[in-house]
Amino acid sequence: MNRMPLLIFGTFLTFASAWLALVAYPYLTLGHLEPVVDEATGSLNPPTLSGLAVAGQKIYAANGCVYCHSQDVRPAYLTADIAREPEADPKVRRTVARDYLRSQPAFVGTLRIGPDLANYGLENRVAALNDIHRHLYDPRGVVSRSIMPSYRYLYKMRKISGQPSNDAVTGLTGPHAPAPGFEVVPSQDAKVLAAYLLSLKRNYPLPEAPEEPTE
Amino acid sequence: MTSSAKTSLVDPVDASVRLPVLVFFGCAACWLVLGTFLAALAAIKLVWPQFLDGFPFLTYGRVVPAAVNALVYGWASSAGLGIALWLLSRLGRVPLNYAVLPITAALLWNFGVFLGVCSVVAGYSRSILLLEFPGFVSVILFVAYLCVAVWGIVLFRNRAAGAVFVSSWYLVAALLWFPWLYFTGNALLIWNPVAGSAQAPIAAWFSSGVISLWLAPVALASAYYLIPQILGRRLVSYNLCQLGFWSFALFAAWLGTAQLVGGPIPAWMVSAGVVASVLLFIPVLVISLNLFGTLSGAYEATHWSPSLRFTVAGVGAFLLAYVAGAILALPSVAAVFDFTDVLIGQGALLLLGFVSMIFFGAIYYIVPRLLGREWECDGLIRWHFWLFLVGLGVAYTCLTFGGIVQGYALGDPAVRFESSVGFATPFRLVAALCAIALVVGSKCFAGLFFRTVLVVLEEPKSSKEAVAV
Repeated sequence: MNRMPLLIFGTFLTFASAWLALVAYPYLTLGHLEPVVDEATGSLNPPTLSGLAVAGQKIYAANGCVYCHSQDVRPAYLTADIAREPEADPKVRRTVARDYLRSQPAFVGTLRIGPDLANYGLENRVAALNDIHRHLYDPRGVVSRSIMPSYRYLYKMRKISGQPSNDAVTGLTGPHAPAPGFEVVPSQDAKVLAAYLLSLKRNYPLPEAPEEPTE
Repeated sequence: MTSSAKTSLVDPVDASVRLPVLVFFGCAACWLVLGTFLAALAAIKLVWPQFLDGFPFLTYGRVVPAAVNALVYGWASSAGLGIALWLLSRLGRVPLNYAVLPITAALLWNFGVFLGVCSVVAGYSRSILLLEFPGFVSVILFVAYLCVAVWGIVLFRNRAAGAVFVSSWYLVAALLWFPWLYFTGNALLIWNPVAGSAQAPIAAWFSSGVISLWLAPVALASAYYLIPQILGRRLVSYNLCQLGFWSFALFAAWLGTAQLVGGPIPAWMVSAGVVASVLLFIPVLVISLNLFGTLSGAYEATHWSPSLRFTVAGVGAFLLAYVAGAILALPSVAAVFDFTDVLIGQGALLLLGFVSMIFFGAIYYIVPRLLGREWECDGLIRWHFWLFLVGLGVAYTCLTFGGIVQGYALGDPAVRFESSVGFATPFRLVAALCAIALVVGSKCFAGLFFRTVLVVLEEPKSSKEAVAV
C-alpha cells in the first residue's frame, strides 16, 4: 500500500471504471441520438427550435431559471408528475433522453421551488404571450403568493408617444404597473425568453416513451 | 522579517510552505464570507421575494450559483489546496522549494474564481451545477489547479523514506481525480458541449464528484492526520484504513445518478448510482469507526483543542450526510424527496458541515505552526464553532422536515403546487435565519484569521514564542 505505483494505478482504475460507464457510455450512445420521423405527419421529433427559442434558452440559463424549475416528467408508476396534469391533451408523458436533443444545455433541474416547466408551452396552460410577459414582469400580480423573482429588468417602461406599442404588456397591476401615459414593453431578451417558454412542449410521440396508464 | 528569523521559530518544513498556504487560506476566508453572505441573501429572497427585487445581478437565479461557486471553488477548494500542500510536505518531511510557483497558482486560481463569480452575476452563466463559469475561466482554474497538483505529487514523490500515512493516499487520489473530473465536465458540457440528451448523467456525476472525489478525500486526509496527532495516539486499525480507502475510492466515483430516478437516463445508470450510494455505507462506517474509535475516551480533549472540536463535528457530519445520502438514493424514497428542500439541506450538510468543519479544524491547527504564534482570541473561535454547529444543525433539520412536507405535497395530485410552496415557507424562514448565523460565524473566522496574521506581520520578531500544541 505504501508503493506509489499501486496507489496511482488503483485510484486510476476505480475512477476510470465509473468514467467509462457514466461519461463515455452516455457520450457514445445518448450523445448520438437522432430525431425520429413522425409517420403521420412526416415531421421530425423532437421538433427543431426556432431561432428566437434558441436565443431564449441563453436568457433562461443566464438568469438561472433552472435552480427553481425542473424540466423532467417522471413516469406515473413512480411519481405524481403526470397525474398533476389531468387536463393535458394529448396526455403528458414521461420525458426521455431524446426530449433534450434540442436543449443546450439540458435543463433537467434538481429542485422544484417553482413548478416543472417541461410542458409549459402547451396551449391549455398558457392562454397568450401577454400572460407570460405579465407573469415575468409581476409574478405576484398573476399568482398572489408566488415567490418567483420579478424579471422587470428585462422590460422597458417608457412614455407613450403617439400610438401605444403593439408589444406593450397589458393588464399589469400593482406597484410596478405603468402610470397613465406610460407603457411596459419587452426587451429583445424578454421576447426570446417568452418564445423559448412557449416552445416547451413534450407532446409529440416518441417510440421509447409510450403513453401509460396513470393509475 | 528575514528568512533566518522565520526558520529559527517555525519548523523549517512549515516555513517553506508558509506563504503559499497562507495565501490559499486568506483567499479562502474572504470567499467564505462572500459565499455565506450570498447564500443568506438567496435564502432571504426565497421567503421574501420582494427583497432587493428587480436588479439583474441580484436576482435569485444568479445569486444561488454565485454563492455555490464561491463556496465550492473559492472557499473549500482554496482551503483544500492549502491543506493538501501543508499535509504533503509535513507528512513527507520535505520542504517546498520554489514556493513562487504555488503562490502564483494560488493567486491565479482565486483570480479565476473571481472572474467566474463576476460572470455568473453579470449573466454569463451556463446554468449547469458547479460548471456555471464561462469556458475561459475553467481554463484558468484548470491550469492553476494542475500547477498545485504537480507540486503536491512532487512532494509525495520526494517524501522521506518510510513516511507514508493514510492521509497521503487520500491526498494523492484527490489531486489525481479532480483534474480528470474537471477536464471531463468542462470538455463535454462547456467547451464543446455534447448533445443535450447525454448531458443529464454527465452533469449529475460531475457535481457529486466535486464533493466526493475532491473535497471529501482532502477532508478525510485532514481528519486522519489531526485526530491521532492531537491526541498523541495511533489510529485504531491500519487494515480498516486500507479497507476504508479502497472501498471509498470504488464507490464514491459512481455517485450522482441515483437522484435521476425516473429521469432521462437509462435505468441501469440509476441502479448503479443507487448501489454505489448504498454500498458507500461500508467505507463511511469503516472510516467513522476508525476515527471515532481513535477518539474513544478522549472527548474531553475537544475542550482545549478547537482543531479537534471542529474535526470531530465534521466527521459526525460526514457520517450523517452519507447515511442520509444512502437513504435518499433508494428509488422509492428518491421519488418522493427529489426536487425538494431535503436536497438543499443535504448539500449544505456535505459542504458546510462535513468538508468545511474539518477544514476549519485543519486551519486552526496549521496557521499557528506557520506563524509561530497562537490565535489571537479564543472567544472568536468559540463563537465561530457554535454559530456554525447550531446554525447548520437547525438549518439542516428545518430543510429536511420542510422538504418532507413539500415532497408529500408534490406527490399528491390533489394538492396545488402553490400549497407545496406555502408548506415549505416557515421551514425556509428558519433556515434563512440560520444562514445569517453562518455569515456571522464566517466573519468571526475571517476576522480572527486576518487579525492573527497582521499581528505577526507587525510585531518585532523577538517577542515570538514557539507554539505549545
